[in-house]
Amino acid sequence: MHARLDELLSLRDGAPVDARVRAHVDGCAECATELTRTESLRAQLRALPAAPAMADDGWAGVEARLAASRRRCARVARIAPVAAAGAVVALGLFATLRVVDPAAPSAERPAPLTVLETDSLDDLRARSQALEALLAAMPERPAVERAGTSVPIESLQAQVQWLDHQLSLADADGRTRAAEQLWRDRVEVMNSLVQLRYLEVQQVVL
Amino acid sequence: MSAFLDSDLPPDTVPRALAGAADAQEAIYRAFELPVRTLTRRLVPRAAQAEDLAQDVFVEVLQSLGQFDGRGSFAGWVRTITVRVCLMHLRSPWHRGVRWMEGLTPAESAAVPAGVAAAASGQLMDVERALARLGDTARAVVWLHDVEGYTHAEIGALLGGTASFSKSQLARAHLRLRELLEPDGVETSCMPVSTNC
Repeated sequence: MHARLDELLSLRDGAPVDARVRAHVDGCAECATELTRTESLRAQLRALPAAPAMADDGWAGVEARLAASRRRCARVARIAPVAAAGAVVALGLFATLRVVDPAAPSAERPAPLTVLETDSLDDLRARSQALEALLAAMPERPAVERAGTSVPIESLQAQVQWLDHQLSLADADGRTRAAEQLWRDRVEVMNSLVQLRYLEVQQVVL
Repeated sequence: MSAFLDSDLPPDTVPRALAGAADAQEAIYRAFELPVRTLTRRLVPRAAQAEDLAQDVFVEVLQSLGQFDGRGSFAGWVRTITVRVCLMHLRSPWHRGVRWMEGLTPAESAAVPAGVAAAASGQLMDVERALARLGDTARAVVWLHDVEGYTHAEIGALLGGTASFSKSQLARAHLRLRELLEPDGVETSCMPVSTNC
Protein backbone atom coordinates (compact mmCIF):
# COMPACT_ATOMS: atom_id res chain seq x y z
CA MET A 1 0.00 0.00 0.00
CA HIS A 2 1.54 3.28 -1.13
CA ALA A 3 1.56 6.41 1.02
CA ARG A 4 -1.34 8.79 0.60
CA LEU A 5 -0.73 12.27 -0.78
CA ASP A 6 -1.56 13.94 2.54
CA GLU A 7 0.99 11.65 4.24
CA LEU A 8 3.62 12.56 1.67
CA LEU A 9 2.88 16.25 2.20
CA SER A 10 3.27 15.77 5.96
CA LEU A 11 6.59 14.01 5.37
CA ARG A 12 7.70 16.85 3.11
CA ASP A 13 6.79 19.42 5.78
CA GLY A 14 8.47 17.50 8.60
CA ALA A 15 5.13 16.96 10.33
CA PRO A 16 4.51 13.85 12.45
CA VAL A 17 3.80 10.80 10.29
CA ASP A 18 3.22 7.17 11.18
CA ALA A 19 6.58 5.37 11.40
CA ARG A 20 5.29 2.64 9.07
CA VAL A 21 4.56 5.23 6.38
CA ARG A 22 8.00 6.73 6.79
CA ALA A 23 9.61 3.29 6.53
CA HIS A 24 7.55 2.46 3.45
CA VAL A 25 8.51 5.68 1.66
CA ASP A 26 12.19 5.09 2.49
CA GLY A 27 12.03 1.75 0.74
CA CYS A 28 9.58 2.50 -2.09
CA ALA A 29 10.93 4.11 -5.22
CA GLU A 30 7.45 5.13 -6.40
CA CYS A 31 6.59 6.92 -3.17
CA ALA A 32 10.02 8.52 -3.02
CA THR A 33 9.39 9.91 -6.50
CA GLU A 34 5.99 11.20 -5.44
CA LEU A 35 7.58 12.87 -2.43
CA THR A 36 10.09 14.58 -4.70
CA ARG A 37 7.24 15.80 -6.89
CA THR A 38 5.51 17.48 -3.96
CA GLU A 39 8.79 19.22 -3.12
CA SER A 40 9.26 20.23 -6.74
CA LEU A 41 5.76 21.67 -6.98
CA ARG A 42 6.30 23.74 -3.84
CA ALA A 43 9.59 25.02 -5.26
CA GLN A 44 7.84 26.00 -8.49
CA LEU A 45 5.14 27.87 -6.57
CA ARG A 46 7.78 29.74 -4.58
CA ALA A 47 9.61 30.62 -7.78
CA LEU A 48 6.59 32.32 -9.34
CA PRO A 49 7.32 35.96 -10.18
CA ALA A 50 6.09 38.87 -8.08
CA ALA A 51 3.20 41.00 -9.31
CA PRO A 52 4.12 43.08 -12.35
CA ALA A 53 4.71 46.81 -11.93
CA MET A 54 1.57 48.95 -11.96
CA ALA A 55 0.91 51.30 -14.84
CA ASP A 56 -0.22 54.02 -12.41
CA ASP A 57 1.23 55.12 -9.12
CA GLY A 58 -0.69 53.07 -6.59
CA TRP A 59 0.16 55.44 -3.75
CA ALA A 60 -1.95 58.19 -5.36
CA GLY A 61 -4.89 55.80 -5.32
CA VAL A 62 -4.35 54.91 -1.67
CA GLU A 63 -4.06 58.60 -0.74
CA ALA A 64 -7.32 59.32 -2.55
CA ARG A 65 -9.07 56.50 -0.68
CA LEU A 66 -7.69 57.68 2.64
CA ALA A 67 -8.94 61.22 1.96
CA ALA A 68 -12.37 59.90 0.94
CA SER A 69 -12.50 57.78 4.08
CA ARG A 70 -11.65 60.78 6.28
CA ARG A 71 -14.40 62.84 4.61
CA ARG A 72 -16.85 59.98 5.11
CA CYS A 73 -15.92 59.66 8.79
CA ALA A 74 -16.39 63.40 9.30
CA ARG A 75 -19.79 63.26 7.62
CA VAL A 76 -20.83 60.23 9.65
CA ALA A 77 -19.73 61.95 12.85
CA ARG A 78 -21.97 64.89 11.99
CA ILE A 79 -25.06 62.82 11.26
CA ALA A 80 -24.46 60.07 13.80
CA PRO A 81 -26.74 61.50 16.52
CA VAL A 82 -29.59 61.88 14.01
CA ALA A 83 -29.02 58.42 12.57
CA ALA A 84 -28.90 56.86 16.03
CA ALA A 85 -32.15 58.58 16.98
CA GLY A 86 -33.72 57.38 13.73
CA ALA A 87 -32.58 53.85 14.41
CA VAL A 88 -34.11 53.92 17.89
CA VAL A 89 -37.41 55.23 16.50
CA ALA A 90 -37.39 52.58 13.76
CA LEU A 91 -36.68 49.82 16.27
CA GLY A 92 -39.46 51.06 18.51
CA LEU A 93 -41.88 51.25 15.61
CA PHE A 94 -40.98 47.82 14.43
CA ALA A 95 -41.35 46.33 17.90
CA THR A 96 -44.73 48.06 18.31
CA LEU A 97 -45.98 46.65 15.05
CA ARG A 98 -44.94 43.20 16.13
CA VAL A 99 -46.84 43.61 19.41
CA VAL A 100 -50.01 44.92 17.72
CA ASP A 101 -50.06 42.25 15.01
CA PRO A 102 -47.47 39.54 15.46
CA ALA A 103 -48.44 37.86 12.20
CA ALA A 104 -48.05 40.97 10.09
CA PRO A 105 -45.17 40.36 7.74
CA SER A 106 -45.00 43.98 6.58
CA ALA A 107 -43.21 46.44 8.83
CA GLU A 108 -41.24 49.62 8.66
CA ARG A 109 -37.88 49.05 7.10
CA PRO A 110 -35.32 49.12 9.91
CA ALA A 111 -32.81 51.91 9.56
CA PRO A 112 -29.24 50.68 9.41
CA LEU A 113 -27.23 51.33 12.55
CA THR A 114 -24.16 53.47 12.02
CA VAL A 115 -20.77 52.02 12.93
CA LEU A 116 -18.25 54.61 14.06
CA GLU A 117 -14.50 54.24 14.32
CA THR A 118 -14.81 55.70 17.81
CA ASP A 119 -17.34 53.12 18.99
CA SER A 120 -16.15 51.19 22.01
CA LEU A 121 -16.29 47.42 22.37
CA ASP A 122 -19.36 47.74 24.59
CA ASP A 123 -21.09 50.01 22.04
CA LEU A 124 -20.40 47.52 19.28
CA ARG A 125 -21.66 44.59 21.36
CA ALA A 126 -24.82 46.53 22.22
CA ARG A 127 -25.44 47.35 18.56
CA SER A 128 -24.88 43.75 17.59
CA GLN A 129 -27.37 42.62 20.23
CA ALA A 130 -29.92 45.19 19.03
CA LEU A 131 -29.60 43.83 15.50
CA GLU A 132 -29.92 40.25 16.76
CA ALA A 133 -33.14 41.27 18.54
CA LEU A 134 -34.43 42.92 15.39
CA LEU A 135 -33.67 39.82 13.37
CA ALA A 136 -35.35 37.56 15.92
CA ALA A 137 -38.49 39.72 15.79
CA MET A 138 -38.87 39.24 12.04
CA PRO A 139 -41.20 36.57 10.66
CA GLU A 140 -39.71 33.18 9.90
CA ARG A 141 -38.08 32.71 6.53
CA PRO A 142 -40.49 31.69 3.76
CA ALA A 143 -40.78 28.05 2.76
CA VAL A 144 -40.19 29.02 -0.87
CA GLU A 145 -37.16 31.23 -1.16
CA ARG A 146 -36.04 33.56 -3.89
CA ALA A 147 -32.46 33.09 -5.09
CA GLY A 148 -32.00 36.87 -5.28
CA THR A 149 -32.31 37.18 -1.52
CA SER A 150 -31.72 33.70 -0.13
CA VAL A 151 -28.21 33.30 -1.59
CA PRO A 152 -26.86 36.54 -0.10
CA ILE A 153 -28.75 35.94 3.16
CA GLU A 154 -27.15 32.54 3.58
CA SER A 155 -23.78 33.97 2.70
CA LEU A 156 -24.19 36.73 5.31
CA GLN A 157 -25.25 34.16 7.89
CA ALA A 158 -22.10 32.20 7.08
CA GLN A 159 -20.05 35.37 7.52
CA VAL A 160 -21.63 35.96 10.93
CA GLN A 161 -20.74 32.40 11.92
CA TRP A 162 -17.19 32.87 10.72
CA LEU A 163 -16.88 36.17 12.60
CA ASP A 164 -18.24 34.51 15.75
CA HIS A 165 -15.59 31.83 15.39
CA GLN A 166 -12.87 34.46 14.95
CA LEU A 167 -14.25 36.36 17.95
CA SER A 168 -14.04 33.27 20.11
CA LEU A 169 -10.38 32.87 19.08
CA ALA A 170 -9.64 36.55 19.67
CA ASP A 171 -11.31 36.41 23.10
CA ALA A 172 -9.36 33.27 23.99
CA ASP A 173 -6.07 34.94 23.01
CA GLY A 174 -6.97 38.20 24.75
CA ARG A 175 -6.61 40.17 21.50
CA THR A 176 -8.84 43.11 22.37
CA ARG A 177 -8.04 45.23 19.36
CA ALA A 178 -8.64 42.40 16.93
CA ALA A 179 -11.90 41.66 18.73
CA GLU A 180 -12.97 45.29 18.36
CA GLN A 181 -12.46 45.15 14.58
CA LEU A 182 -14.31 41.83 14.41
CA TRP A 183 -17.25 43.27 16.37
CA ARG A 184 -17.26 46.23 13.99
CA ASP A 185 -17.36 43.84 11.02
CA ARG A 186 -20.08 41.83 12.74
CA VAL A 187 -22.32 44.89 13.20
CA GLU A 188 -21.90 45.78 9.54
CA VAL A 189 -22.68 42.25 8.36
CA MET A 190 -25.69 42.07 10.72
CA ASN A 191 -26.87 45.41 9.34
CA SER A 192 -26.84 43.99 5.81
CA LEU A 193 -28.54 40.83 7.01
CA VAL A 194 -31.38 42.77 8.66
CA GLN A 195 -31.91 44.84 5.51
CA LEU A 196 -32.01 41.74 3.31
CA ARG A 197 -34.35 39.88 5.64
CA TYR A 198 -36.66 42.88 5.55
CA LEU A 199 -36.54 42.77 1.76
CA GLU A 200 -37.35 39.06 1.82
CA VAL A 201 -40.35 39.68 4.06
CA GLN A 202 -41.60 42.33 1.68
CA GLN A 203 -41.22 39.97 -1.27
CA VAL A 204 -43.44 37.43 0.47
CA VAL A 205 -46.08 40.10 1.02
CA LEU A 206 -45.95 41.22 -2.61
CA MET B 1 9.22 32.06 0.20
CA SER B 2 7.02 34.88 1.37
CA ALA B 3 8.03 38.21 -0.13
CA PHE B 4 6.98 39.81 3.16
CA LEU B 5 10.14 38.44 4.78
CA ASP B 6 12.28 40.65 2.52
CA SER B 7 10.44 43.85 3.44
CA ASP B 8 12.42 46.24 5.55
CA LEU B 9 11.36 49.46 7.22
CA PRO B 10 13.29 51.93 9.40
CA PRO B 11 12.18 51.48 13.04
CA ASP B 12 10.75 54.98 13.46
CA THR B 13 8.53 54.76 10.37
CA VAL B 14 5.48 53.23 12.02
CA PRO B 15 5.31 55.70 14.94
CA ARG B 16 5.78 58.58 12.53
CA ALA B 17 3.08 57.28 10.19
CA LEU B 18 0.79 56.85 13.19
CA ALA B 19 1.42 60.48 14.09
CA GLY B 20 0.25 61.43 10.59
CA ALA B 21 3.55 61.97 8.74
CA ALA B 22 2.67 61.57 5.07
CA ASP B 23 6.21 60.59 4.05
CA ALA B 24 6.23 57.76 6.61
CA GLN B 25 2.84 56.52 5.39
CA GLU B 26 4.14 56.54 1.84
CA ALA B 27 7.28 54.70 3.00
CA ILE B 28 5.09 51.93 4.40
CA TYR B 29 3.28 51.71 1.08
CA ARG B 30 6.55 51.59 -0.88
CA ALA B 31 8.02 48.93 1.42
CA PHE B 32 5.03 46.60 1.18
CA GLU B 33 3.57 47.42 -2.21
CA LEU B 34 5.10 44.43 -3.96
CA PRO B 35 4.42 41.71 -1.35
CA VAL B 36 0.86 42.93 -0.78
CA ARG B 37 0.06 43.13 -4.49
CA THR B 38 1.68 39.76 -5.13
CA LEU B 39 -0.29 38.10 -2.34
CA THR B 40 -3.62 39.63 -3.41
CA ARG B 41 -2.93 38.53 -6.99
CA ARG B 42 -2.24 34.98 -5.90
CA LEU B 43 -5.34 34.72 -3.73
CA VAL B 44 -7.64 36.62 -6.12
CA PRO B 45 -6.68 35.83 -9.72
CA ARG B 46 -8.74 38.57 -11.35
CA ALA B 47 -6.10 41.25 -11.73
CA ALA B 48 -8.37 44.30 -11.44
CA GLN B 49 -10.01 43.00 -8.26
CA ALA B 50 -6.65 42.06 -6.80
CA GLU B 51 -5.25 45.55 -7.39
CA ASP B 52 -8.38 47.08 -5.90
CA LEU B 53 -8.04 44.87 -2.82
CA ALA B 54 -4.36 45.75 -2.47
CA GLN B 55 -5.38 49.41 -2.15
CA ASP B 56 -8.03 48.45 0.40
CA VAL B 57 -5.32 46.67 2.36
CA PHE B 58 -3.15 49.80 2.55
CA VAL B 59 -6.10 51.95 3.57
CA GLU B 60 -6.83 49.50 6.38
CA VAL B 61 -3.17 49.21 7.38
CA LEU B 62 -2.71 52.98 7.57
CA GLN B 63 -6.00 53.53 9.37
CA SER B 64 -5.31 50.75 11.88
CA LEU B 65 -1.70 51.56 12.73
CA GLY B 66 -2.76 52.30 16.30
CA GLN B 67 -3.81 48.68 16.67
CA PHE B 68 -0.35 47.30 15.86
CA ASP B 69 0.90 46.30 19.30
CA GLY B 70 4.44 45.40 18.24
CA ARG B 71 4.21 41.84 19.58
CA GLY B 72 5.04 40.35 16.18
CA SER B 73 6.74 41.78 13.13
CA PHE B 74 5.11 44.66 11.31
CA ALA B 75 5.48 42.73 8.04
CA GLY B 76 3.55 39.83 9.57
CA TRP B 77 0.82 42.20 10.73
CA VAL B 78 0.49 43.68 7.22
CA ARG B 79 0.37 40.17 5.77
CA THR B 80 -2.38 39.15 8.18
CA ILE B 81 -4.49 42.13 7.11
CA THR B 82 -3.85 41.29 3.45
CA VAL B 83 -4.99 37.70 3.92
CA ARG B 84 -8.07 38.77 5.91
CA VAL B 85 -9.12 41.33 3.29
CA CYS B 86 -8.73 38.78 0.47
CA LEU B 87 -10.62 36.03 2.30
CA MET B 88 -13.43 38.42 3.20
CA HIS B 89 -13.66 39.35 -0.47
CA LEU B 90 -13.72 35.72 -1.59
CA ARG B 91 -16.55 35.04 0.88
CA SER B 92 -18.54 38.12 -0.06
CA PRO B 93 -21.99 37.72 -1.60
CA TRP B 94 -20.85 39.99 -4.43
CA HIS B 95 -17.92 37.74 -5.38
CA ARG B 96 -20.05 34.60 -5.12
CA GLY B 97 -22.80 36.27 -7.13
CA VAL B 98 -20.41 37.16 -9.93
CA ARG B 99 -19.15 33.59 -10.07
CA TRP B 100 -22.69 32.27 -10.12
CA MET B 101 -23.77 34.63 -12.88
CA GLU B 102 -20.76 33.91 -15.03
CA GLY B 103 -21.15 30.19 -14.51
CA LEU B 104 -17.38 29.92 -14.37
CA THR B 105 -14.81 29.11 -11.80
CA PRO B 106 -12.77 32.24 -11.07
CA ALA B 107 -9.79 30.70 -12.73
CA GLU B 108 -11.46 30.02 -16.02
CA SER B 109 -11.87 33.73 -16.58
CA ALA B 110 -8.65 34.76 -14.92
CA ALA B 111 -6.02 36.02 -17.24
CA VAL B 112 -2.33 35.80 -16.48
CA PRO B 113 -0.88 39.32 -16.76
CA ALA B 114 1.00 40.00 -19.97
CA GLY B 115 4.06 41.27 -18.12
CA VAL B 116 4.31 38.06 -16.19
CA ALA B 117 3.81 36.05 -19.35
CA ALA B 118 6.80 37.71 -20.92
CA ALA B 119 8.98 37.36 -17.86
CA ALA B 120 8.31 33.81 -16.79
CA SER B 121 9.53 30.63 -18.33
CA GLY B 122 7.10 28.25 -20.00
CA GLN B 123 7.02 25.91 -17.01
CA LEU B 124 6.37 28.70 -14.50
CA MET B 125 3.62 30.02 -16.71
CA ASP B 126 1.98 26.63 -16.50
CA VAL B 127 2.17 26.65 -12.73
CA GLU B 128 0.72 30.16 -12.58
CA ARG B 129 -2.18 29.24 -14.84
CA ALA B 130 -2.81 26.03 -12.93
CA LEU B 131 -2.82 27.89 -9.62
CA ALA B 132 -5.32 30.39 -10.98
CA ARG B 133 -7.60 27.54 -12.04
CA LEU B 134 -7.95 26.11 -8.54
CA GLY B 135 -11.04 26.88 -6.49
CA ASP B 136 -10.83 29.84 -4.12
CA THR B 137 -10.30 27.75 -0.98
CA ALA B 138 -7.80 25.30 -2.46
CA ARG B 139 -5.79 28.14 -3.99
CA ALA B 140 -5.72 30.05 -0.71
CA VAL B 141 -4.66 26.97 1.25
CA VAL B 142 -1.86 25.91 -1.10
CA TRP B 143 -0.46 29.43 -1.35
CA LEU B 144 -0.68 30.25 2.35
CA HIS B 145 0.86 26.92 3.34
CA ASP B 146 3.46 26.20 0.66
CA VAL B 147 4.62 29.75 -0.03
CA GLU B 148 3.68 32.00 2.89
CA GLY B 149 4.48 29.33 5.48
CA TYR B 150 1.20 29.35 7.44
CA THR B 151 0.55 26.25 9.54
CA HIS B 152 -2.51 24.09 8.97
CA ALA B 153 -3.91 25.24 12.32
CA GLU B 154 -3.56 28.90 11.29
CA ILE B 155 -5.16 28.29 7.92
CA GLY B 156 -7.97 26.29 9.49
CA ALA B 157 -8.70 29.16 11.87
CA LEU B 158 -8.64 31.72 9.04
CA LEU B 159 -11.11 29.66 7.03
CA GLY B 160 -13.35 28.89 9.97
CA GLY B 161 -12.37 25.22 9.82
CA THR B 162 -9.87 22.85 11.36
CA ALA B 163 -6.26 21.88 10.70
CA SER B 164 -7.57 18.64 9.17
CA PHE B 165 -9.69 20.64 6.75
CA SER B 166 -6.61 22.59 5.71
CA LYS B 167 -4.58 19.39 5.24
CA SER B 168 -7.30 17.86 3.15
CA GLN B 169 -7.59 20.99 1.01
CA LEU B 170 -3.81 21.08 0.50
CA ALA B 171 -3.75 17.47 -0.70
CA ARG B 172 -6.65 18.15 -3.05
CA ALA B 173 -4.95 21.28 -4.35
CA HIS B 174 -1.74 19.36 -5.05
CA LEU B 175 -3.63 16.63 -6.84
CA ARG B 176 -5.53 19.17 -8.95
CA LEU B 177 -2.33 21.05 -9.78
CA ARG B 178 -0.75 17.81 -10.94
CA GLU B 179 -3.77 17.06 -13.09
CA LEU B 180 -3.46 20.47 -14.69
CA LEU B 181 0.31 20.41 -15.08
CA GLU B 182 0.69 16.78 -16.14
CA PRO B 183 -2.63 15.77 -17.68
CA ASP B 184 -1.30 12.35 -18.66
CA GLY B 185 1.01 11.74 -15.74
CA VAL B 186 -1.20 11.63 -12.66
CA GLU B 187 -1.71 8.18 -11.29
CA THR B 188 -4.65 8.53 -8.98
CA SER B 189 -5.23 4.82 -8.46
CA CYS B 190 -2.51 4.48 -5.86
CA MET B 191 -2.54 8.10 -4.70
CA PRO B 192 -5.59 8.66 -2.52
CA VAL B 193 -5.70 12.23 -1.29
CA SER B 194 -6.47 11.56 2.37
CA THR B 195 -8.72 9.67 4.66
CA ASN B 196 -10.66 12.87 5.43
CA CYS B 197 -12.20 13.22 1.98
